[in-house]
Amino acid sequence: MSIFENKKDSIETYRIIVFLSPFLILLFFAFLQILNLSYFNSNIYKTQSDSNRLYQSKIAPQRGFIFDTKNTLLVENNIQQDLEINPSFIENPRVFLKQISDLLDLNFEKIESDFYVRATGKSSQEPYILIKDLNEQQIAKLSVNLKKIKGAEIVSSFSRNVIHKDIMAPVIGYVGNISREDIFNNPELTKFKSLKIGKTGVEKDFDSILRGNMGYRIQERDSYGKLIRNISIEPPLKGKDLKLSIDLDLQKKLFSDFKGRKGALVAIEPRTGLIRALISSPTYDPNLLNSINDYEEVKSLLADKDSPLFNRALSGQYPPASTLKPFVGMAALEAETISWEKRIVDSGEYFVEGDDRPYKGWKEGGHGNVDMKKAIIESSDVYFYALAYDLTINNLSPFLEKFGYGKQSGLTENEAKGILPSRKWKLGYIGEAWFKGDTINMGIGQGYITATPIQIALAYATLANRGEIVKPRIIEKIGGVSTEKVSNLNISLSDNQNWKRIEEALLGVVEASNGTANNIYDRNIRIAGKTGTAQVKSIGETEYKFLREDESLRDHALFVGYGPVEDPKLVVVAIIENGESGSTVAAPLVRKAINLYSKNEK
Amino acid sequence: MKNNPLSFSVNLKIDKSSNNTPQFDYWILFSVIFLCSFGLAMIYSSSNSLEMTIRQGTYFFLGLLGMLLLAFSNFRKMEVFYLHSFWPAFFLLIIVLLFPSENSKTNRWIDLGLFTFQPSELMRFILPISAASFLTKNLKTKMKDMWFVIFVTLICFYLVAIQPDLGTSIIILLAGLLPVIISGFPWIYIFFGGFLVTLSLPLIWISLYDYQKQRILTLFNPEADVYGAGWNIVQSKIAVGSGGLFGKGFLNGSQSQLNFIPESHSDFIFSVIAEEFGLLGISILFFIYGILIYRLLMVSFYSSNKFAKIVSGTLSIILLAYISINISMVIGLLPVVGMPLPFLSQGGTALIVNLLTIGIILSLRKEV
Repeated sequence: MSIFENKKDSIETYRIIVFLSPFLILLFFAFLQILNLSYFNSNIYKTQSDSNRLYQSKIAPQRGFIFDTKNTLLVENNIQQDLEINPSFIENPRVFLKQISDLLDLNFEKIESDFYVRATGKSSQEPYILIKDLNEQQIAKLSVNLKKIKGAEIVSSFSRNVIHKDIMAPVIGYVGNISREDIFNNPELTKFKSLKIGKTGVEKDFDSILRGNMGYRIQERDSYGKLIRNISIEPPLKGKDLKLSIDLDLQKKLFSDFKGRKGALVAIEPRTGLIRALISSPTYDPNLLNSINDYEEVKSLLADKDSPLFNRALSGQYPPASTLKPFVGMAALEAETISWEKRIVDSGEYFVEGDDRPYKGWKEGGHGNVDMKKAIIESSDVYFYALAYDLTINNLSPFLEKFGYGKQSGLTENEAKGILPSRKWKLGYIGEAWFKGDTINMGIGQGYITATPIQIALAYATLANRGEIVKPRIIEKIGGVSTEKVSNLNISLSDNQNWKRIEEALLGVVEASNGTANNIYDRNIRIAGKTGTAQVKSIGETEYKFLREDESLRDHALFVGYGPVEDPKLVVVAIIENGESGSTVAAPLVRKAINLYSKNEK
Repeated sequence: MKNNPLSFSVNLKIDKSSNNTPQFDYWILFSVIFLCSFGLAMIYSSSNSLEMTIRQGTYFFLGLLGMLLLAFSNFRKMEVFYLHSFWPAFFLLIIVLLFPSENSKTNRWIDLGLFTFQPSELMRFILPISAASFLTKNLKTKMKDMWFVIFVTLICFYLVAIQPDLGTSIIILLAGLLPVIISGFPWIYIFFGGFLVTLSLPLIWISLYDYQKQRILTLFNPEADVYGAGWNIVQSKIAVGSGGLFGKGFLNGSQSQLNFIPESHSDFIFSVIAEEFGLLGISILFFIYGILIYRLLMVSFYSSNKFAKIVSGTLSIILLAYISINISMVIGLLPVVGMPLPFLSQGGTALIVNLLTIGIILSLRKEV
């Protein structure tokens, strides 16, 4: 029997079917669409579903620790709690920020500006730190209320802590955010974006070792940004620890003598090249820089006219002054323009033929009849004027270059080279021809020549090593593996006796009654050394007395020495800016360093 | 008879061997019970709220009782009651506009303290029965009666539309006009009416609320505003698509479990089913809905009573309309309007009304 059998009734059935059909057709198309979604394009939607819920985030590695040579901890990481926000979960920033500022009792305007400033350069999906280093009270408040606030989370991070602050600052340096320039120079840093990297010092030079490796974590989050669970975690790799050659005790004791003084000190083991102390004064608290985010906070540090951030030990370029004299002497012996015993009359003034302008010695009336030994011991200027004049710049410069003048020491790339003048150099940089008078000035380490404290220390280390040039090192161990001594060059003299002769003269500086540093004589530990007084400005005598009133124009005091002479353990150079005489302020420092170190060694 | 294009139905017909001993249609009963139970499970999955599930379960229980009561009632005796039940429903429709529940932005619910209910849902169920009863009071339906029903329907449509509830108001329109059409309203008027509606489309567009316009515009380009109006559609499409062939498993749909689908327990419950049970689950769901609608239609087709034919026909079409419109809107074929998926979506009034609808159709079977 058909449903249409009864013609009279079938009108309703017919109409039902007619008005049912549009919905059946709609349902048919709906099914086609479902087929399209969940069969033909399922993979696309599966990916979208995953990207909805899955978030990859980085886990910052812990930076390597730094120890001193006796394994005293110098740099550690403090764990701090920060408030991290994820902008993609924040619906209304104003409401969100109001909630946060009310909760933590913080200034709304400050938070708001941080919110926008820190967001610049980031994608809207990228979480970032809004408030650093929450205190315990804030953490307690947040952990109770954070469930109600979408898009904020407490995360822990590490902050760098230099334990001995200013004492170690010139060695350690500080860390800072990765700049655009950093990434330009090293594109690999892109993946470390959220980290801080070393900006100066050991932190910078050994950044790739200290840095470690990023960890990654895939998290599942709901539509409110709430963490559901961790899907997978690839833990970060902690950076390797560094053991420095610096002896913290020595550094500390020497540093205390630099209070209120500007200057630098470098103490280096001549046999190994290991640096045991490195001081630059004035200095700064690196933790201040480790924790800042913008330069506003350290403006005063940068604007300080004494430049505490400037590393004088590595980049301060001073006239080597009289500390250069032993090398000038050796150069002359080597060129055979003079013999060890030859005497020259020092009447206090030196004249060049055809020029009636005198070159004055530091001592009025002169030192009388002097040979090289006496000239070094008493630091005769006239003797070395004559020596340099006879030697000429063409012989002097190449000889000094062998001892490292005018070249970076090789400790780090971020140090100054000093100036080792030559005819070519002067023509290029000053634009003038070389005058004989320039050579004469250079004979006493003045004029155009400048050197960094570490260069001076290394030149004397080479002297103490009888010609073996050792590359300076400040790292003893990287992650437990010792670094190797590097020495691949030897300076050989035509007469090996000359090493001994110069050393004897340097011993005399301290031990002879007429020595310029006789004040630090101590027969228990014999020190060979040389004083120096670097003129800040070349000036005439009349102006000199007047200018002494201005401290910043006073001469720099230098002393460099090594000892014990029988088996040199340490070469120390000390420079006190505007300290006037090398023997009174700089020499005792060197004596102290060598005594402390020798005692320690026993 | 052999040449009749629709004669395929014959072979699947219900047992007609004993005209006088009414058979209870277990197909309808079991498919409804299956759908409701499945709905409870999905409400739990999408809301993670046992309380909400238990509440819905209670409505299910009450609705099932009402359904069985109606199923065993004699519809001929009930007809007078059906005829006049329009007026209390109409009264409630006015009440809801005057005293709406304060918890909502729209005037759809009446708050009775213990629970809230939607008069519009009640009306879309009462209207066709009452209309059918009114139209069949004479042996031959009078044109005058038809016009009266159309008039009343338009008033009800208006009352629901200003709540505002676009989805239900369209259903109300169907609920009132279908009995008129099925009982033989002349085609010429039907076409003329359709023509008028088409002409007034710009007017309708103007009278829509901004959010309603936005929903329609969003339909054509949901990706344009992923975090705004397009969010629902985009997220529910992702849910359906990512379910794939076999789904992610019960309680394992990340889209629904992690709150990416709004209204996932009510209007968008279909996307949760698709995500967790995949194309396979959807096909089974379609199949069960198919059985239900088919058996309901058969009641209409094989009934010799005009009232029964109109009522069961109209209610079946409305049920199918709900299903097809809800699913189409969830997968982005139609604009988002408030329309639940019958027997599955959370919502007490809708569930009870749907169950009562089934009860009435079951009672009509007695006349087969």
